[in-house]
Amino acid sequence: MFGNIVVAVDGSEASQEAVDHAVNMARHSKAALTGIFILDSQWPDFIGNDWQSSQGARQGFLDHIRQEQEQQADAARAQFESASSGLERAHFCVHAGDPTDVLVEQANLPETGLLITSRRVFQVSGRPSLKALGTTLARKALHPILLLP
Amino acid sequence: MSNESPGFFRQLPSALPGLALIIITMVVIRNWIEPWMAVTKVFGMQKPLTDAFHLNYILIGIIFGLLYRNVLFGGRMPEIFSNGFKLSRLMIKTGIIMLGSLYTFSAIVQLGSMAIFLIGGFVILTIIMVLWLGKVFGLDRSMTGVLANALSICGVSAAVATSPAVEAKASHVAYAIATILGFGILTMFISPFIGHTLGLTDLQYGAWIGTGILNSGQVLAAALAFNPNVAPGTAVSVAEIWNIMRVISIPFAVFAVTVWYWAGKTEIEGGKQKSLGTLLVEKFPVFVIGFMVMVLFTSMGAFGSVGLKGGLPPSETIKTLRLVMQWIFGFGLVGLGGYIDFKELRQAGGAPLKLGLIVGVTKYVLALVVVLLIKDSLVSI
Repeated sequence: MFGNIVVAVDGSEASQEAVDHAVNMARHSKAALTGIFILDSQWPDFIGNDWQSSQGARQGFLDHIRQEQEQQADAARAQFESASSGLERAHFCVHAGDPTDVLVEQANLPETGLLITSRRVFQVSGRPSLKALGTTLARKALHPILLLP
Repeated sequence: MSNESPGFFRQLPSALPGLALIIITMVVIRNWIEPWMAVTKVFGMQKPLTDAFHLNYILIGIIFGLLYRNVLFGGRMPEIFSNGFKLSRLMIKTGIIMLGSLYTFSAIVQLGSMAIFLIGGFVILTIIMVLWLGKVFGLDRSMTGVLANALSICGVSAAVATSPAVEAKASHVAYAIATILGFGILTMFISPFIGHTLGLTDLQYGAWIGTGILNSGQVLAAALAFNPNVAPGTAVSVAEIWNIMRVISIPFAVFAVTVWYWAGKTEIEGGKQKSLGTLLVEKFPVFVIGFMVMVLFTSMGAFGSVGLKGGLPPSETIKTLRLVMQWIFGFGLVGLGGYIDFKELRQAGGAPLKLGLIVGVTKYVLALVVVLLIKDSLVSI
C-alpha cells in the first residue's frame, strides 16, 4: 500500500510512539521504513543577532549545540534500530537542514507513501519555531502524513 | 554538520548581493523616505511620523530589515542575500570601534565612573533576582544560569557565552534568546517615545537605556533612534560607554554563574569548570580592544579636535568619521532587523518568558527611576 514509510525520530518519548506506529504499519503493509533524524543547521542564523561575541565564544557555543544534537542523533538511531529490529527493509539516516523544511521535502518525495511524526519531535534540542512543525507539515505536505500528539 | 565559517575574503563575493540590498535600502531611506516623513501631513497633523512616533532612518532601517525577512522572504533570508546580512554584524562592530573617536581617556573616566557604579549594581542585582526567581519557578539550573547572564549583561552574547559553561540544553538557550529578543525589540521601539515624552536629555536617556535594555544591538538602535547624531554627549555616546562596561563584564559574570552552577551539582565531572583566566581569553570581546585603541589615538590628537564640551569644535577628520559612522550603523541595523524572526519569537513562552518579562520590566523601569533620581550627578562630556 505504501512504498516507503518515513518516520521522524529523535530519541524522545514522543518519537517512540511515532516509531512504534511506523513499525506496525510497515509490518502490516510490507512497506520499506526510513527513520530520519535532522541536525538543525539553523543555529548560526538563530543567533545571528549576536554581533559582539568573539569568534571563540560564538564557535564554542555552536560546537556545544552540535555536540548535543549528535548525542540526540545517536539516541534516535538506537531508538529506531531497537523498534525496527526484525524488519527487513528498514534503515535510518541523518539529514542536516531546517527540520521543518527537511520533513516537508521528505513528505513530498515521490517514493514517500506516508510520513509519520509526533508534533513534538525535534523539540528536545530545538528552536521555538519547531513547535509549529506539525502545522507547517500539515499545510505543505503533498503526500499523506500521520501526525501524532 | 560543520559550523566552521569561511574566511572573510572568501565570503565577500557571495556577500555582495545582500550588502547591495542593505546599502540600497539605507540610501533610499535617507534620501527619500526620511525627507518625505519630515514634511508629510497625515490626518491634518504636520509630520506625525517624526514628531509623534519619533521614527528616523535607524528605526525605519530596522523595520525594512524585519519586513524583508518576515514578509517579503517568508521567514528566511534567501541564500543569495544571507551572507550579506551576516556581514552586517561586522559593520556594527566596525562602527563601535570607530565610536572610540568620540572620547578621550579623561572623558571615558568621567562617563565610565558613573557607568561602573550603575552597571555593576544592576548586573549583580539582576543575577540575584534571576537566581531567586529561577528557584521560585522551578526552572532547570542551567536554564536559570543562562537567563541570569542574558538578562543581566547583554542578551544574546551573554547567553552564547554562558551556555557551554553551564551545560545548557539547546532548547533552553533558544527560549532564553527568544525571550530576550522579544522584550528587546519592544523596548527598542518604545524607549525613544518614552524618552522624548519625559523630556529626557541625551545623557539621561543614554544612561537609562544603556542600563535598562537587555540586548546590545537594541541599545545601539534605541540610542540612535532617540538622537541619530553621533557626537560627544549624544545618546549613543553615553549608551555605548554603558554598553561597553556591560560587555567587559561578560567573562566575569560567566565565571560567577559557572561557579554557582557547579557548586549546586551533586556530581562533579572533572575539568568542566573553567578558570577566570581561560574565560577571559575565550569570551573577551575583541572589538573592545579596537575601541580602546581608537580612544588612545583620539586622546593623542591623531584625528584633531574631538569637539568635547568647552573645547575646540570638531576637526574635519572627526566630522567625516561621524558621517561614516552614521551610515555604517544604518547599514548594520538594517542587517539586525533582517535577523529578527517573528516565527521564533511567537513560539517563545512558558516559565522562561514569565521570568524574562518580570526581570526585564523591573530592570527597565528601575533603571529609569534611578537615572531620574541621580540626574544631577550624571556628568556630561
